[in-house]
Amino acid sequence: MRNLNPVSLAIAGLALAAAAMAAPQPTTLHNSGDPTLALTPGLRGAANAPPGTPPGNPDPHDLNGVWWLAGYQYMLGPEPGVEPPLKPEYMAILERRIRAKNRGTPEADASTQCLPHGMPRVMESPYPIEIVQTPERITFLHEVAHNLRRIWLNRDHPKNVAHTYLGDSVGHWEGDTLVVDTIGLNDKTFIDDEGSSHSNQEHVIERFRKIDNGSNLELVMTVEDPVTLEHPYSYRRVYHWRPDVRPQEYVCEENNRNAPVDGVTVAK
Amino acid sequence: MRALQIFLSTVAFGAMSVNVSAAAPDLSGVWVLSAQVGALKTVDGKAPPLTPEAQAVYAAHKAAIAKGDFSFDGVTHCLPPGLPRLMLMHEPFEILQRPKALYFVYQLNRLPRRVYLDEALPTDVDPHYLGYSVGKWDGDELVVDTNGFDDSTMVDNAGLPHSDAMHLTERFQLSKDGMHLHLLMTIEDPKTFTQPWTARTDYTKRPGYEIPEEVCAATPVTKRPRS
Repeated sequence: MRNLNPVSLAIAGLALAAAAMAAPQPTTLHNSGDPTLALTPGLRGAANAPPGTPPGNPDPHDLNGVWWLAGYQYMLGPEPGVEPPLKPEYMAILERRIRAKNRGTPEADASTQCLPHGMPRVMESPYPIEIVQTPERITFLHEVAHNLRRIWLNRDHPKNVAHTYLGDSVGHWEGDTLVVDTIGLNDKTFIDDEGSSHSNQEHVIERFRKIDNGSNLELVMTVEDPVTLEHPYSYRRVYHWRPDVRPQEYVCEENNRNAPVDGVTVAK
Repeated sequence: MRALQIFLSTVAFGAMSVNVSAAAPDLSGVWVLSAQVGALKTVDGKAPPLTPEAQAVYAAHKAAIAKGDFSFDGVTHCLPPGLPRLMLMHEPFEILQRPKALYFVYQLNRLPRRVYLDEALPTDVDPHYLGYSVGKWDGDELVVDTNGFDDSTMVDNAGLPHSDAMHLTERFQLSKDGMHLHLLMTIEDPKTFTQPWTARTDYTKRPGYEIPEEVCAATPVTKRPRS
């Protein structure tokens, strides 16, 4: 495990408390008062690069390198601790999943079966992401479960886009901001770790921009889903520049105890 | 291990100098084996020089395959195939070329492989399925050195074993027309082979091919690659 220490849990707790005071009323899960709906607290996430690390590359159009999320939320709503604006029937499913988790019998999800994490969840990981930029392409190599995203800069979405775990991503530059548009996501993943649902009509827009002279990468994530969400919503994240870190081999499958056998998942 | 690698990469930053010759060939693109490879042979077409002990392990693997028992083979459980076997799978792979590293990204279960350029091979690395790779340009050839292997993987698709002492040297050469990639791989593994040996494979470029999202865990066991 990396950087998941009690201090970060405490900090995350304070952040949640602050968010609770600022959060809109009425009712969000975090102020429900129902212990069976307790949310998993966020984590601090990665630290800044240590002293002596080469400074970030200030070139706004060069995103190459290893980036590591600052702060990590189990629920990806508009604010920390606030759930996505789910329609009532999907809110009920989220509550069911949170209660199952709190009983110690979480519902199976993509990540526990070594499947790709889906969007936007894969961008919320306590493991580093390496961005490799080549002509007409930007590739995200995620350490977590070797998730892989290809962002095409030279084409639009295919007319009949296939539905996959991480979808079809196309990008373009708007000034110094890389705008990535993703559709073609299957409905086998969750929006977040707590279990917010999305459909195969989910549409994700990411706006990446270097800040702090290249030492941080800002992401403004917008999630739309006409099936599960009342309305689109956005949140902001920051990734630290970490040239001192080399992504590791991550083999989820090594301890996969729920491997599908001929398409049927069986507990072993 | 993380601490070691952070240390190593910090050292590497300090040591990194001019590492890209302007003449370095561009290996970028999607590649696929020009011909399927079963049991890997030496460049002379001979069987690899197994030690008697390793010969017995190989025979056991072949006997298991003949009975339809692939339990010895992690690939059927979605584990990385190791090297050089990953270079012998029939799925295409792509090469992303950067000045300080090359990234081999395989269609097979979306596996990534990083080759860091102009760095020394670490002498003490934890075992990984795909080892630890460093590379350099030698004229117009890319020479990749890999060690730090886990001993559970196979050399090829026919059950040829190797040990954790394997040292793999790959020499990649681009054809003049840029459409073919030739690979000479030399395997040194004194625990498995009586002497180093070299095999050759060839790859053909697949311009315009977009690698699809291939997810082993979502693939029924009987439809996964196997020996």
